[in-house]
Amino acid sequence: MKNSKFKLVAAFGILLFAILIGINAQEPTPSAPKSVRMPAVTEKKLQNELTVAVVERKNVPLVTVQLLIRGGADSEGFAKAGLANMTAGLLTKGTTTRSATQIAQQMEFLGGSIGSSAGWNNSAVSINVMSDKLDQALAIMADVVLNPKFAPKEIDLLKAQIQDGLSYSLKQPGFLANYVASVYSFGEHPSGGTPDSIKSIQRTDILNFKRENYLPNNSVLIFTGDITAEKATALAKKFFGSWKIPPPPKASTTRLGKPMFFNTGTPLFRRMLVVDLPNAGQASVNYTKSVIESGRVRCASGKCESSEIFYPAKVMNSVLGGGYSSRLNQEIRIKRGLSYGAGSDFGWRGTSANFGTRTQTKNESAAEVAELVLAEIKKLAESNLAENELNPRKLVITGDFGRDLETNGGLAEAVSAIYGYFLSTNELNTFMPAVQSVTADQVQKFSNEYLMGGDLIIVGDYAKFKDDLAKRFPQFKVTLITAEKLDLMKLDGN
Amino acid sequence: MRKILGLFGLAVILAGAAVAQVKIAPLNFKERTLANGMKIVSVRENSSPTVSIHVWYDVGGKDDPEGRSGFAHMFEHMMFKSTKNMPNEKLDRLTEDVGGFNNASTWEDYTNYYEVVPSNHLEVLLWAEGDRMVNLNVDEKNFASEREVVKEEFRQSVLAQPYGRFFEYIGSLSYQKHPYQRGVIGNLAELDAATSKDAREFYNTFYRPDNATLIVAGDFDQSQFDGWVDKYFGRIQKPSGTIPRVKVTEPVRTTEKRYLKTAPNVPFPAVAITYLGPNSKSEDMAALEIAETILSGGESSRLYQSLIYQQQIAQEADFSVDTRIDTGLLYFYAIASEGHTAQELEKSLMTELKKIQTAPVTIKELQKAKNQIITGAFQALETNDGKALAIERAMIYEGSAKAVNEGIAKLQAVTVADVQRVMKKYFTQNNRVVIYYQAEGETK
Repeated sequence: MKNSKFKLVAAFGILLFAILIGINAQEPTPSAPKSVRMPAVTEKKLQNELTVAVVERKNVPLVTVQLLIRGGADSEGFAKAGLANMTAGLLTKGTTTRSATQIAQQMEFLGGSIGSSAGWNNSAVSINVMSDKLDQALAIMADVVLNPKFAPKEIDLLKAQIQDGLSYSLKQPGFLANYVASVYSFGEHPSGGTPDSIKSIQRTDILNFKRENYLPNNSVLIFTGDITAEKATALAKKFFGSWKIPPPPKASTTRLGKPMFFNTGTPLFRRMLVVDLPNAGQASVNYTKSVIESGRVRCASGKCESSEIFYPAKVMNSVLGGGYSSRLNQEIRIKRGLSYGAGSDFGWRGTSANFGTRTQTKNESAAEVAELVLAEIKKLAESNLAENELNPRKLVITGDFGRDLETNGGLAEAVSAIYGYFLSTNELNTFMPAVQSVTADQVQKFSNEYLMGGDLIIVGDYAKFKDDLAKRFPQFKVTLITAEKLDLMKLDGN
Repeated sequence: MRKILGLFGLAVILAGAAVAQVKIAPLNFKERTLANGMKIVSVRENSSPTVSIHVWYDVGGKDDPEGRSGFAHMFEHMMFKSTKNMPNEKLDRLTEDVGGFNNASTWEDYTNYYEVVPSNHLEVLLWAEGDRMVNLNVDEKNFASEREVVKEEFRQSVLAQPYGRFFEYIGSLSYQKHPYQRGVIGNLAELDAATSKDAREFYNTFYRPDNATLIVAGDFDQSQFDGWVDKYFGRIQKPSGTIPRVKVTEPVRTTEKRYLKTAPNVPFPAVAITYLGPNSKSEDMAALEIAETILSGGESSRLYQSLIYQQQIAQEADFSVDTRIDTGLLYFYAIASEGHTAQELEKSLMTELKKIQTAPVTIKELQKAKNQIITGAFQALETNDGKALAIERAMIYEGSAKAVNEGIAKLQAVTVADVQRVMKKYFTQNNRVVIYYQAEGETK
């Protein structure tokens, strides 16, 4: 097989790259690739400093509108974990003039949907509706953002629902592993909340969070789909023009927050945590590593650009655990049949990143899978990638990126991610070339500097892998906790 | 993989007093049948240089060999292994490595394989699909390894999920005779019993051009595409012998049946109430889909408003129309919120059922449901892959590609009387199976 050949075209478009394969005479060769036009973002600022961003596309008569609010779980603190998400969730549960039921009825009568939730750095409210009903839908959306009621009975109901959801999720090995890792490895808190934190959240906490974070000069209103920039701007003025920046000006909260403590990476991994979940149907095996030296962006005087680690990290992840043919899935699923799937990803923060691998396997093979995961981390740090592995893994990233932009919802998410990190919208155009320009040396350097020295976390039926784990990792002390008695506050983060 | 959403394609005209009229062109597809019996459907859409390729075979979980539950699905995994001309996982090289993707899914009634790639790779993918239709190697080593993967898939989706077994029970306890009772994923013992010899027989029996359909949507040149189809599929021989078909008719239920099932790590009790429904081509399907949306489409739906919002006895409450070619399944289910019981859930679900049977739904509810389904149908068609999938479902469940353009009109024609009629027709006491599901060791 020949190596992949590719070249960049820098003008307005990006070329999809041909791979020339000559495995046998029968197999046809792909024809020349065609260029892809990236969507153009039109940006306007209203008098109240609300940014309006529009991407027009007319393939279906639908519009997605997303209001991005810079402020999420990073602004809530451990004791009130889940506050950002609860605040967002309660917006659609009643305004001064509409009950929760009326909001749902009116939006759904338009055939549309409304959703609101919070991530780590941001909160968002989104609607998706047919373009001829956008005016009516936007009136509802503006109402829930500007005039939410936060009625006590709605707060009580949402708290009960979140508690039930946690009871359910905490029985699943994969969820439980991430939940524990957020504290143990990343020095954060679970952004969905804990049973204790949810219980402690009061109506005043919600009102304060809303007042401090939901501000027009802290938000971006994004339109994608069947709408012109002129129409979008007019609608934004009509429905969000009255949104005031309240005095006193917003206290400067720490966005893009840092973890509370550090890992110092020298050994392959430092700690081993087992959460015993008796009778679990599988074990979740995770390697986690906090990257604290750098994150999604590098900022100076209010302007941000992608950090020096972002693209090398993305390519590294594609090699290790992004997509079906990544190394982890090759070793664990394809070669050995030990799992239905194995992968890895980054939880990006402004100035840090949470790296984690994930896979589930039968309890009996948990220790074997742990060894395989660690071996792949080590391999990345110690040896250089061949071009014929590197190039296809870059195309996985650029291909996924292109497909994500095919729907209005995906497009709105991509634009939102840009604004959420204070990046320039030109990042949409530079994304694919930036991925292509990453070298094997950069990937190895990143792996060597940032991936080693993390934690191994296994959640499952401990009795079934205890002996094998001790045999395979004789020098390691296992920290053992039981799922039933899990107390995150007492989990030793370092 | 179980639930089918709307069967509806692009709207012709959205009528109705409360909505503005939207006129949209139908999906303009081209259809032909090759001499070997293979069906070909194509839709050109050149707005972006990508193409979606679907090949579906008329074989699904219901066609699993006797004592080999889960076999059709396990075989689907084998289709990514080596052929005479391709090494293992070559399909990933042809898709993932050029910025595309591939996948496959096995349903009760069919199996599909699909790829999305930059459009200059269309010919290569047609070649590969043709190749694995006739040249698959089924070797022992691959078979053994893939069996382990499927067992992990079973553990992950059924055993490691608190309600994984519950959803399997809904299928398995609802059918008495029809092979639908076995479920697509099967069980560990029968997966273990399967052999590579079974796999070769299965391949020879069902993977043939007269049991396959190719659907391509996206950026291509029609005459060039037609030529490639002739070259890579037209030359495949139609084998002799007939394709075996499931002929079992699920008997009419004659009396209510009740079950209590338990599993580890189940935080709250759950209940399911199932009814046998019509087949997927029935004229009643549009009205049932409207009822499904009125009962459980969104937060303004009846079940959400009653069980979750007002009574607060459930964290999840749903009514589903599970579309199947033979006998469909209509079921309610709910998962309790803290402190509430399966009995309470059953009682409230039955109250809602009685309500929709005895009083007609309002005009406003009917219109809301239509608007919701139409928006969903447009969303499903945003991508080339969505278009190919919509045509695929129309062919499988309604028997023709053109049904993709007729769905909205059928939906618009549904009246409040139709909804009431279907809710009375299928939801009778004797046609009921009730399943309680709770944690092991807990008393009822």
